[in-house]
Formats: sequence, C-alpha cells, structure tokens
Amino acid sequence: MTRRYRTSAILLILPLIIPLLALTIYPFLNMIFMSFHAYDLARNEPPRFIGLGNYAAILQDGSARSTIEFTALLVIVALPLEILLGIGIAWLIRDMLGERLIRSAILLPMMIPAVVASIAWKMLFNFEFGPINYFLSLLGVAKVSWLGSYPFARLGIILIDVWQWTPFVFLVLYSGLQSIPPELTEAAVVDGASSWQAIRLIELPLLRPLIWVVLIIRLIDILKLFDIVFMVTWGGPGAATHSFSYYIYKVGLSFGWDIGYASALSILLLAVVVLLVNVLMKVLRLRALLELG
Amino acid sequence: MRHFRSFAWKVAKTILVLLVLFFFLFPIYWLVITAFKPVPDWFGWPPIIVPRALTLDNFLGLKGAGSGGFTGQVTGSVANIWPYLRNSVIVATITALLSMLIGAMAAYAISRFKVGGVQFTNWIISIRMLPPIASALPLYLIFSKLQLLNTLFVLILAHLVFTLPLSTWILITFFNDIPKELDEAAFVDGASPLQAFVSVILPLSAPGLAAVSTLAFIQSWGEFLLALILTSNPNAQTLPIFLGRYITAYRIAWGPMAAAGLINMVPVVIFSLIMQRYLIRGLTFGAVK
Repeated sequence: MTRRYRTSAILLILPLIIPLLALTIYPFLNMIFMSFHAYDLARNEPPRFIGLGNYAAILQDGSARSTIEFTALLVIVALPLEILLGIGIAWLIRDMLGERLIRSAILLPMMIPAVVASIAWKMLFNFEFGPINYFLSLLGVAKVSWLGSYPFARLGIILIDVWQWTPFVFLVLYSGLQSIPPELTEAAVVDGASSWQAIRLIELPLLRPLIWVVLIIRLIDILKLFDIVFMVTWGGPGAATHSFSYYIYKVGLSFGWDIGYASALSILLLAVVVLLVNVLMKVLRLRALLELG
Repeated sequence: MRHFRSFAWKVAKTILVLLVLFFFLFPIYWLVITAFKPVPDWFGWPPIIVPRALTLDNFLGLKGAGSGGFTGQVTGSVANIWPYLRNSVIVATITALLSMLIGAMAAYAISRFKVGGVQFTNWIISIRMLPPIASALPLYLIFSKLQLLNTLFVLILAHLVFTLPLSTWILITFFNDIPKELDEAAFVDGASPLQAFVSVILPLSAPGLAAVSTLAFIQSWGEFLLALILTSNPNAQTLPIFLGRYITAYRIAWGPMAAAGLINMVPVVIFSLIMQRYLIRGLTFGAVK
C-alpha cells in the first residue's frame, strides 16, 4: 500500500473516529473525575474532591442494595428461563408445518420498540380491567395487584423481559440447530440412539458455543434494562424494580441531581459490562475457531 | 399402538405451539384491537377480547369523548402526535443516512487498508454494548453547558454513537466479500481510493447499504433513554417520549394510547421483518449468519 492510499484511508475513517471518541472517551473520563467528587446539580457548588466517598456510599445505600438484588433476580430467573424456553421452542417448531410463518410470528416481540411493548403489558397487567387478571379469574384465582405489590411487580418485569427476549434466544439457537448437518443425528438414530439421546449427546454440545454467546449478550442487556422499568413500574413499588440504569437515572437526572454518586454507580456498571464484553469477544473468537454455523 | 402414540405426540406438539404463539402474540393482538376499540369498549369486565365494534376515532382524535361514556382525566389525544412523529422521522432518517455514509467510509478503510487492526475493530464493536445511561449522564452535562439540549442535532449525534458501530461492522463483512481484484483493477486504471470506493465498492454493496440504514433507522426510531434525557419538549421529543407521557397520566385513555403505540410500532416491524437476516447478524455480532 502506498503512502497516498494510507492518507486517504485515514481521512475516510476520521468521520467515524471523531464523534465516537468525543462521545465515548470524553464522557468516560468526565465520569471517572465526577465519581471522585461531591457534585450535585441542585446545589450551586463546584465539584469537591471526596476520594472514594461515593463508592463507599454505595455500600450503605438501601436502594442500591435493592437494585443489585433485583438485577440478580433477573439474572437468576429471567435469563435461564429465556435460554430454556428458547431451546425448547427451537426444538419444538423444527420440522413443523409452516415453521417459517411460526418463526416470524414468534420474532415479533423483539421487533417492537420496548416502549410500545410496555404500554401493551401495562394494559394487560391492569388490576381492574386487565386480561391477565381475567384469565386468572377463569382459573379461580383472585385479582392480583401486579404492579402495585412488591413480589408481583418484580415478577411482572421478569415476565415482560422473558416475553420480549426469548424470541431472540430462540432465533439464535434455531439458526444454530439448522446449521447442524442432519446426517449427524440421522446416523446416530440409525445406530440405535433415541431422539432424546441425539439431542442431548449431539445437538446440545454443538450448540454450546452459541448458548454462551446469547447468554452473555442477554446478561449485558439485563444490566442495561431501562425502558420497560421506566414505563411499567417506575422502579416501584418503593425500590423493588429498580434496574441498574433506572437507578442511575433516578439518582443523577430525575429525582435527584447527584452527579457524583450517579457517576460512581455508572463506573461500577461500566466495569461489569466491559468485563462481560471482553468475555464475549473471547467467546466469539473461540466460536470462529470452532467454525460452527 | 405406535400409530396412536405418534398421533398423540403430534397433537401435544400442536397444542404446545399454539400456547407459545398465544403467549408471544396476545400482547400485540391486545394493543392492536385496543387501538381500534370505541370508547365504551376500552374498559370492561370481562375484558372485550374479540372486539364488538371497530372505529378510527382513537387515531382521528376524541371528538365527544366526554359524552361517549368515558369520564375522568384523559391525557391528550393522538392529535397531538404530529410534532413527535415529525421529530422521529427526521431524527431516524438523518441518523440512518449518516450511519450509512460514515459507516461505509470507515468500513472501506478498515476492510481494504486494515486501518487500526483487530483491536480497533473490537473497540468499535464493543461501544455498541455499552450501557447508554453511562454516556447519557456526561452528555447531558456537556450539552447543557453548550446550550444544545432539546435539539434534534444533539439527539442525532447521541443516536449515532450506537448506530455507527453496527453499521460499520456489518459493512466491513459486506466489503470483505467483494473481491479485492475489482478495486485493484480500478487502481491500475489510475483511480484514487475514493474513486474506487464510489464507483466500484458502493454500487456492489447496495443491499448492505440498505440493510445498515434500515437497521440504524429501527434503532433510532425506538430509542427511549437518550431522548428522554436530552430533550424536554415537543420541539425535539420523539414518539417513544410521547408514549411515555401517556403512562404518567392519572387515568389513561387506553384507545389513543394503543393507537399511538401502533403508530410507533408499525414502521419498525415492517422494516424488521424485511431485514430479519441482518438484524440477527448484527445483534449477535455475526455468531448467526
């Protein structure tokens, strides 16, 4: 490559680099700075250095604890549910009549904007007139205050997340299943394996790298969860359904203007996400080596 | 007996699929029918699951809503949606075009001249995974100092941060598939890299360009958090924020809310269905082709 080409190549890439640097690196440095300072927009004072004060405050903060608790609950309940349902449905509709149509139908939830999904579910969860309470009443269950009571509000958000993102998990694993040569399982069945054994011993191990990929992507997405919480429960009742992003928003830009504390929380969140992104990149490279799909 | 068992299995499978479809489609079905329900049918017990009557009133505005049996505080109607719709169209369209243009130039430089190497490409991709709230907070501070809050310009800029990495990355994979001999032939004929890019690469990657601009449009159209933080009135607020305002009302008029939701949903669902393949490829970083 001649020097002339190199110059043009760099010129071509500048329009990408400049905004990305300005809008990611600068905010990041600014946030690190703020996280070591007491800075509240509501008070007309310049940032004051307090060392690790903001980070220490996280440990004492009941709402932060509730946020971490709810995030952990999402990871422990919603995530495995999405993976299991995703695999189950992929396996269920395979070879079915009209599977293309069924597949497109199942994908709809992940295609509609989260805000729109939220208003649909907000109606479904309605205490007085909501269809969910109606279906439950058909089974003889009394009306449930879905969004007003603490365990049910958490359950409600989990349900919406499962509804919206199982299709994504399903699609990834379904494509994975499709890419496994049918001869592999056919040969096993000819050799006397049951279809369950073929799934467990041949297909699942081949899918494993892909399962890791969706697992990590979903994990990162759960840490970013915001729209649904904002729209459906406002993080409530109390702090029961605060997602990480929602709590940062609340502390920094909505109910409070405590930029210093919100920055410390953001740094914590970023640290976890960056770690996960690095793991993801490793898995993706591993996957490329395995040449699956 | 064997026959019976395989028959029973087929029936069970069909029932399971129907249950799955019900779970995933019912919320959408409910939103769609509510958007077309007349006022008295919004709230009912038992809920009206098969609509008795359909109307366009929820879209056209609530003339005589008070007399139609719906009392209580009704927040707005869909008639106020125009400024939000206009902002969404402008922001999403410009974001889509800029992502395509900037993404294509960068992808060409990376694909053909290996600018920056693997680490650099990884950095670009990973930006997409970062939580928007983390950049929203400092961006809010900067733009409020620059007095640029509540402008479409700032919103487009913020959306670009999340659409550009995806566009660039998808286009890199597209350009890599175009044989190098083609642009080398152009170089031999005396073309500059820019000329080769415009006259050889771009025409050959039209489907890729269409895909990335559509995907950027979808992302920008549905984006909520940044719009919520960076805008404050109908001069710059987008459709998702309009929906957010409905939610906060004391008593929510379901019909117009669902109608607004439908308006917000339809374009992206159509685009997503068309671009299914690329959507998935992008969402999984190419783990699924």
